[in-house]
Amino acid sequence: MTVAAGIGYALVALGPSLSLFVSVISRKPFLILTVLSSTLLWLVSLIILSGLWRPFLPLKANVWWPYALLVVTSVCFQEGLRFLFWKVYKRLEDVLDSFADRISRPRLFLTDKLQIALAGGLGHGVAHAVFFCLSLLTPAFGPATFYVERCSKVPFFLISAIIALAFVTIHTFSMVIAFEGYAKGNRVDQVIVPVIHLAAGMLTLVNFASEGCVIGVPLLYLVASLTLVHCGKMVWQRLLETRNQSSASR
Amino acid sequence: MMAMGLTRLVAIAFALLLVSILPLHVSLAGEISSIESVPDLQKLMYVVVDGYPCVRLLNLSGEIGCSNPGLNKVVAPIIKLKDVKDLVQPHTILVTVDEMEDFFTRVSSDLSFASKIGGVLVESGSNFQQKLTGFSPDKKFPQAQFSPYENVDYKWNSAASSIMWKNYNFPVYLLSESGIAAVQEIISKKKMKHGTYTSDVAEFNMVMETTKAGTHNSEACLQEGTCLPLGGYSVWSSLPPISVSSSNNRKPIVLTVASMDSASFFRDKSFGADSPISGLVALLGAVDALSRVDGFSNFKKQLVFLVLTGETWGYLGSRRFLHELDLHSDAVAGLGNTPIETVLEIGSVGKGLSEGINTFFAHKTRVSSVTNMTLDALKIAEDSLASKNIKILSADTANPGIPPSSLMAFMRKNPQTSGVILEDFDTKFVNKFYHSHLDDLSTINSSSVVAAASVVARTLYILASEDKDASNSALGSIHVNPSFVEDLLTCLLACEPGLSCNLLKDYISPTNKCPGNYAGVILGEPSSKPYLGYVGDVSRFVWNFLADKTSVQKGNTTSVCSKGVCSKTDEVCIKAESNKEGTCVISTTRYVPAYSTRLKYKDEAWTILPQNSSDSMGMVDPVWTESNWDTIRVRVYTVQHSAYDNTVLIAGLTVTTLAYIGILAAKSLITKALKQD
Repeated sequence: MTVAAGIGYALVALGPSLSLFVSVISRKPFLILTVLSSTLLWLVSLIILSGLWRPFLPLKANVWWPYALLVVTSVCFQEGLRFLFWKVYKRLEDVLDSFADRISRPRLFLTDKLQIALAGGLGHGVAHAVFFCLSLLTPAFGPATFYVERCSKVPFFLISAIIALAFVTIHTFSMVIAFEGYAKGNRVDQVIVPVIHLAAGMLTLVNFASEGCVIGVPLLYLVASLTLVHCGKMVWQRLLETRNQSSASR
Repeated sequence: MMAMGLTRLVAIAFALLLVSILPLHVSLAGEISSIESVPDLQKLMYVVVDGYPCVRLLNLSGEIGCSNPGLNKVVAPIIKLKDVKDLVQPHTILVTVDEMEDFFTRVSSDLSFASKIGGVLVESGSNFQQKLTGFSPDKKFPQAQFSPYENVDYKWNSAASSIMWKNYNFPVYLLSESGIAAVQEIISKKKMKHGTYTSDVAEFNMVMETTKAGTHNSEACLQEGTCLPLGGYSVWSSLPPISVSSSNNRKPIVLTVASMDSASFFRDKSFGADSPISGLVALLGAVDALSRVDGFSNFKKQLVFLVLTGETWGYLGSRRFLHELDLHSDAVAGLGNTPIETVLEIGSVGKGLSEGINTFFAHKTRVSSVTNMTLDALKIAEDSLASKNIKILSADTANPGIPPSSLMAFMRKNPQTSGVILEDFDTKFVNKFYHSHLDDLSTINSSSVVAAASVVARTLYILASEDKDASNSALGSIHVNPSFVEDLLTCLLACEPGLSCNLLKDYISPTNKCPGNYAGVILGEPSSKPYLGYVGDVSRFVWNFLADKTSVQKGNTTSVCSKGVCSKTDEVCIKAESNKEGTCVISTTRYVPAYSTRLKYKDEAWTILPQNSSDSMGMVDPVWTESNWDTIRVRVYTVQHSAYDNTVLIAGLTVTTLAYIGILAAKSLITKALKQD
C-alpha cells in the first residue's frame, strides 16, 4: 500500500464530513464552535466510559457477549449525554432568543437550529471516525496492507473506513432527529435515535462471525440510510410546516 | 501528572472502543490475538521473520557470501522454487535445504536466472537430516592450500558442494522454526480470496557496508574500515602450571589441540557438532578427568592444552599461536623455550559409535619414534578401557596424509612435527553435514565423545608419566564423567539451555544464549590480556574452565580477586564474571589472539603486511574479513497491487465529491422550499 491508498481510506471515512464542513459549517463560526464542543463532549464520554470499563479489561477476544454489554452501556451513556447536550443547547437557544427579542432582531430560524443540530452530530461523527478509523490509518500509508481472517476479502483499513463512514452518517443525522424530537416532544423521534445507535453498535458485533462483515456492513448501511431518509423526511416536513406557518401568518 | 493520566485514559478509551466497535479480531500464530493498539496492528502487518543470514565475507582477491545488491532494501514477492517458471520480475525464492545445492549451482551458472532472484529464504529442519544423503557447502578438500602434501585433489569431504565459497548478489536467509511458521502463515493466507490483487513479499534489509563503500576485497575494505578481520581468541593452559619466573626444569611438551569454531553457509547457525565441537568437548572432558589425578608435577612431560579458534578461515588460531611462539610473546609466556615433543589433536569424534563399538582412527603426521610413542600410548589406553568397547585403529596408509586439521599448520610450520590426530573417520569424513547448519547435536553421539575423552585422558597420562603399564591403578582411576560431557554438549550445541546452562554460568555470564560457533571478527587491538567484552562466550568459558581444572592450590587458602586481578604473577582470577568476586588460582592459562599472520593492527586500524616468503602459509592465506553491517532484518507482509491502491483513492475522491454535490443539492432544495410563495 501507498500514500494513495492511505489518502483514499481517509477520504472514504471522512470525505463526506469534509464536504459538509466546507459547504455548510465553515461559513458560520458558531457552527464551528458547535462541532468542536460536540467533539470534545464525545471524547469526554469515551474517557468516562473507559474509566468505567477499565477493571474488566482486556475482554476475551472470542466471547462476544461482553462486547455486547460494552456496546449497550456505551450507547446508553452517550444517549444520556446527548440529552444533556440538548439541555445545554436549549438553554443557549433561549438566551439567544431573548437576546434577539431585546434588540428587536428575529429569533433563530429553523434552518439555524437544524444547522446547529447538524454541527453537533457532525462533531460526534467526526470524533468517532478520527478515533476508530483515522488513528488506525497510519500503518496504511506504509507498503503493507492487512487482512483479518474474519473479513478476508476486504482490506482491514477499507472496512474500517467504510464502517466509520456509516457511523459518521448515523451520528450526524441522528443528532438532527434527536434535537427535533426533543424540541417537538415527539416520542418516536426521541426513542428512535438510541435505537438506531444501539442497532448500529450491535451490528458491528456481526463482524465476530467468519465473513460476518459481508452481512454486517450492508446492514449497517441500511441503518445509516434509514437514518438519513428519516432525517430527510422529517426536515422536509418541518420545512413545509414552517413555510405554511409563515405564509399563513403573513 | 494530570496530563499523563488523561493521555493514558484516552489511550485506554481508544483501545477499549477499538475492540468494542470494531471487533475485527485476528488469530495469528503469534501471541497477539486482538489488536489493541497501532503498534500491535503494525506487528501483525509486518511480520519480522526470525532466522540466520548469510553475510558478505571478503578475501584478498574478492568476495563470497551474500548481500543486498545495492544500498536499499530488497522487496520481492515470495514464490516456491518448484513453482518457478519464467520469472519476469525479481522474486524471493523459497528453497528447501534439499534443493539448496542444485539451486545455488544453477544460480552460479545461469546468469539470467540469477538476475531474477531478489532474495532467497531457506527452509530447513531436523527432518531433512534423515532425508538428505549429505549436505556440505564446503569444498571436497577444505583449505587444501594449507595442506602439507601435494595431493590436494583428494576428496575428504564427499558431500561437498562448495556453494558457501561463491559470491551471491542477493540476500539469503535461513528461516528458523518460527520463521518458517511466519512465512507459511502468510503464504497460506494467499489462498483467501483477496489473492488476485495482493502479493506476499519478503523485505530483506541486509545491506553490507562493503557494498555501500564499493570495497570488494579485504585490502580495500580494511583500508576504508568497512570490514573486520575474522578471528577471535584461542586459549591454552598447562597441566601442571608453569612457573614463568624459574626458567630451569623445562620439560618437553605434549600439546593437545582441539578447535572451537565452525562455519556454514549461514553466519550464526554453525554449530559444528561433529566438526569440531565434539573434539573440544572430548578435550574438556579429558581435562576434567585428569584434574582429579595427582602427581603431574613429578612427571617427565608437561601437558599443554590448546583450544583454537579461526581454524576454519585459514587455520588462524594455530598459525598465530606458532607465530607467537616464534616471537616469544606474552601470550605464550612459559612455552617459549621448550620444545613441543608431540601434538595430539582431537578432531571430529562425535560419530565413532557403530554397532555398540566406538571406533576412532589415529591419523599420524610421519613415522617417528615420538609418533609411535603416542600410538603406543593410545593402544595402552584402549587396552585399559577394554570393557568400554573402544577401538583405536591406525588410519589407512593409502590416505595422502593427515585430514584437514590444525596439525596441517603445525606440519607446514615444521615438517618434522610429530603429531597424531584422532578422528571418527578413516579415508573420508563420516560427517555428511561438514560445515553446514545441519551438523548439530542430533547428528552426534555423546557416548562416542565420552569414549574419545576417556582414551585421550589416559593417553595423556601415559605420555606424561611414561608409565606404560595398562594395569596401573592410577591409570585405571582416570574416568571421564559422562554426564559432564552430555551437559557440555547441550550447552555448546543447543539453544536450550544453550550457553546459559548452569555449567557455563558457573564460569561466565554469557552474552548470547544460542551458541553460534562461528569464529567471528576480532574487535579492538589483539592482546594476550584482551578486554573480555571482545572475547567470545566459548573462549571465555574455555579459559575459565581450563584455568580452574589445571590449577593447583597452595595450602587451603583461596584468595578472592576483585576487578579480575590477582596479586601474584602466577595466579589468574577465575569465575569473576558469574560471581561478583572471582577466585585467584595458580594456573598458566592464557588467551592467544587468533588472526591472520598477514595482518597488523596499528593506530586503531588493520593493515595487510606484504607477502613474506618465510611464511609459507601466509603466502596462501586468503586473509578473510567480514563486512560490517548495521542491522539485518527480514520481514514478510502483504502488498496490494497499485491498481487497487489507485481504485481506493478514486473511491475516496468520488465519495467526497458525491457528498459535496449531494449537500449542495440539498441546500438548494431547502432554500427553494423555504422561499416564500
